[in-house]
Amino acid sequence: MTSTASTPTREDGGFRFRDLRKMFGGSQSTSRQFGILGALVVIILLFQALTGGKTLEPNNLINIVNGNAYVLILAVGMVMVIVAGHIDLSVGSVAAFVGIVVAQSMTLWGWPWPFAILLGLLLGALVGAWHGFWVAYVGVPAFIVTLAGMLLFRGANQWVGNSTSLPVPRDFTFIGGGFLPDFGPQFGYSNWTLILGLVAAVAVVWQERRLRKAQAQMGAEQAPFWVSAVKVGLLLAVVLLATYLFATGRVGTSFPISGIILAVLVLGYSFLTNNTTIGRHVYAVGGNWRAAELSGVDIRRTNFFVMFNMSVLAAVAGMLWIARSVASGPGDGVGWELDAIAAVFIGGAAVTGGIGTVVGSIIGGLVIAVLNNGLQLLSVTADYVQMIKGLVLLLAVAIDVYSKRQGRPSLIGRLTRNRGSGDDRPTASPAPEGAQTPTPAGGPAETARPQDLTPRG
Amino acid sequence: MRKFALAATSLAAVTALALAGCSSRGDTTDTEGEGGAAGFAADATIGVALPDKTSENWVLAGDLFTTGLEEAGFNADVQYAPASNTVAEQQNQINSMITNGAEVIIIGAKDSAQLSSQVEAAKAEGITVIAYDRLITNTEAVDYYLAFDNFKVGQEQGQALLDGLAEKYPDADTYNIELFSGSPDDNNAGVFFNGAMDVLQPKIDDGTLNVVSGQTEVGQTATQGWLAQNAQSRMDTLLSANYQDTELHGVLSPNDTLARAIIESVRAAGKDLPVVTGQDSEVESVKSIVAGEQYMTIYKDTRALVAAAIEMVQELQAGEEPTGINDTETYDNGEKIVPSYLLPPVVVTQENAGEAYADNPDLLALTEQ
Repeated sequence: MTSTASTPTREDGGFRFRDLRKMFGGSQSTSRQFGILGALVVIILLFQALTGGKTLEPNNLINIVNGNAYVLILAVGMVMVIVAGHIDLSVGSVAAFVGIVVAQSMTLWGWPWPFAILLGLLLGALVGAWHGFWVAYVGVPAFIVTLAGMLLFRGANQWVGNSTSLPVPRDFTFIGGGFLPDFGPQFGYSNWTLILGLVAAVAVVWQERRLRKAQAQMGAEQAPFWVSAVKVGLLLAVVLLATYLFATGRVGTSFPISGIILAVLVLGYSFLTNNTTIGRHVYAVGGNWRAAELSGVDIRRTNFFVMFNMSVLAAVAGMLWIARSVASGPGDGVGWELDAIAAVFIGGAAVTGGIGTVVGSIIGGLVIAVLNNGLQLLSVTADYVQMIKGLVLLLAVAIDVYSKRQGRPSLIGRLTRNRGSGDDRPTASPAPEGAQTPTPAGGPAETARPQDLTPRG
Repeated sequence: MRKFALAATSLAAVTALALAGCSSRGDTTDTEGEGGAAGFAADATIGVALPDKTSENWVLAGDLFTTGLEEAGFNADVQYAPASNTVAEQQNQINSMITNGAEVIIIGAKDSAQLSSQVEAAKAEGITVIAYDRLITNTEAVDYYLAFDNFKVGQEQGQALLDGLAEKYPDADTYNIELFSGSPDDNNAGVFFNGAMDVLQPKIDDGTLNVVSGQTEVGQTATQGWLAQNAQSRMDTLLSANYQDTELHGVLSPNDTLARAIIESVRAAGKDLPVVTGQDSEVESVKSIVAGEQYMTIYKDTRALVAAAIEMVQELQAGEEPTGINDTETYDNGEKIVPSYLLPPVVVTQENAGEAYADNPDLLALTEQ
């Protein structure tokens, strides 16, 4: 399935175009992520041209982050649910329910906002435990449990809030629409944003260095150094450009706080899914739960965890939303589950479970977000926007399904497979798919290992 | 080692960027503020953000805005929110209009309470914000409110009920009536009801009107969600509890949908049709009025409202204060009293239907049968 298994390339030096594939790991799902990242870049550049430069204006970027952070946070939880082989339809209703209670706690009961946030997280945890109990311990399919939850918590939202909109205090709204305060000497940039950019730049370099070190230690295949250099160079360029753009917004703005919350969650959950036992168990259960069970994975605990975690993140999303809207309303959360699910699938997750990454889902969500924003900047009516979004979702997943059936990694994979070296060895593994041995193709950052364990249907 | 070199280079790059100094921070803030003497370009972009296309009124308004603003020489950016995730997308659309450099943004809010961040962002860019048909609450950043006078609508409904009763039962001294109001989650519902009670309460106090059920509070008369089924079941209950042997003369209904539900209920109970009020000039109700069943409705001409909005934009373009503002006391959005331009509603009965709908071919055709 992956070319990395059959073509071990440890030799240094020698420019080979296909080594580029190893830039973001060598396996199928990562090269697909690479593909969707490419699509995102193309869409951004396309709309940048079509809108006459408005897409990459600082204030527009801030709008994109603030306007989509809550959906992207849902996508972080949803990808884990989908990888585990479930679905959660209740997230919008849960977010709305938590939102109205949190709004009431501040506006009607006069709670200070930190307590209100704790209350919201606690509510999310209770709801999550409820879903987790039915899915994991009673064995009701998650589709049914969360369909029930969708109705249950929508009703709870309307019951608690009496179907009315309730404003929230201004000091709470920073988490959904606020910025880091300016400090220190003013020379035309948001200082906090510069610091964040610096931290991100250092992290990029450090991460690549750590990856190569770990790969060397494990004796795993390493991409040639020049590939790493190009990768780090590209990432640094993106980080620097983003830093520059976010730092030069309207005075008083910075990289949005909602974006920081999102970034922290993405980093944390990437680590959780890649590097922790429970995270790997999610993939194992989703890939083949019988095999996972025989290997000693506690299936029920894993299922409970993903459902529980999803509702907690839905609570976070709900609070971010009411902070952005400065009010909780009866229509909150309607359709959010579909946006989150679309982001996850565009980001390369498999409907059958076992495959998908947090970062891929965020990129998938950003594809939809930038598309939406660009079309709105072009004043395309909502009717067309919805049709286009629907087609993009279908197309993205269709390409994925088609590539898999052909036994080809992806379009990018095809492009890079037989170029540059006179080497015409077939890169697809000749072994029967089910019998393929697990190949720890990358270092700790390689996110798609379990797919090699997944039997193909 | 090379990696360290790389790290050092990147650090240096970021620092260099930071120290590059030249203040390129977007200082696009327009300090002239709203309604200032400055005005703006005659071909400026005017944003119009409307809610989802749930009623034909909004579709008509969008078409009229597009053609009207283009005719006036402006660049019209008219957007409807989609049917799903409506509030969020409306927020995004308003943000896009700000990015696109709109000078005025006219907003028909999906949820009145959830747009304050966006209109404040617009304000920060010096954009004038006009709340169209629905007030935007909890923010200082709304400049004007443009709508039909809903309190007046209520008053007209109350007066029409009295007129209808006198017309239909010329020999009676007292009348038995029941009261209905709209959905409790809609700010307008209370305004309609209070307007009507402004006229009816004195007549209830002096005994001319008798609310047999005794339900005169807005909470008791509410129709959750403006749903016809809720009004119909409440009317069924009222009839069986209070009107077994008593005649029902009139019903105050806040809109046409509920009016027809009430008429259905009375008809099913086998009683004579009372005088029933309405609002919105829905096609079925206009037919009903022409047929002599429903007594009256209210015509809020979308054309007039859109025309008033465009006129307001033209005045702002010329740097003048909008001349139509006729109420600077009533509409408190929680943060400020929003200067309002209120258009008078038109009362339509069987007698004047042809006249009232003269400029609306669709409704006019219904009156000419």
